[in-house]
Amino acid sequence: MLVLTRKLGEGILIGEDIRLQIVEIKGNTVRLGIDAPRHKKIYRQELYDHIQQENRAATSWALADLDLLGTPVSPPEPEEK
Amino acid sequence: MKTIDSRFGEIAYDPQQVLTFPQGLIGFEELREFVVMPNSKEGPLFWIQSVEDAQVALVLTDPTNFFLDYKVVPEAHERAILGIEADEPCFNLVVVTVHPDRRITLNLAAPILFAARTNRALQVILENSGYSIQTPLPVVQPATPPQQAASASASA
Repeated sequence: MLVLTRKLGEGILIGEDIRLQIVEIKGNTVRLGIDAPRHKKIYRQELYDHIQQENRAATSWALADLDLLGTPVSPPEPEEK
Repeated sequence: MKTIDSRFGEIAYDPQQVLTFPQGLIGFEELREFVVMPNSKEGPLFWIQSVEDAQVALVLTDPTNFFLDYKVVPEAHERAILGIEADEPCFNLVVVTVHPDRRITLNLAAPILFAARTNRALQVILENSGYSIQTPLPVVQPATPPQQAASASASA
């Protein structure tokens, strides 16, 4: 892993189209500003990891579980006012 | 027709009809092709079986079965992955987790966008949406007055 030291307000360029900037440093917390093209997916690491774990956990099921909910829950139709 | 040896036995499928995830699912990025399996009985749950990994099958549902106002619209780059235009329909699906105690939760924080015309799907992450990865099913309100259902069906 490349490790760089940056001061408040300084930045890092990744490739030609991703720019990180140190926006705020407060105690243990660093706020980062990120400029990147819309199609670049940017997520908090722990959220991504958590979704990965959930997808993996979701592969453990049995065929009988498909009937746990019985017939479709039909949403109540909106009342006309 | 081809066949897959799934956890649930052999499944015959038409390779022309597979659902394609051009970027895989989160945590299963290498798995691109899935067979859509209907539930044998009537119910809101169905499942998808990986063509490439026999062990991977996921239960999905249409979240609007449970959360009427849930709607995620694809952004331009997501539509490009799905191969659809801005005015084309795109449906939402969510991954269902069946916990060891048979409790069911929906992952509303990482829905699947599904384009029926191209048969492509994409799992997206909603940052800061407030939706939970393990959203419990809504509690059914038994207090709904029966005449409301009667008037709704009469007006339909």
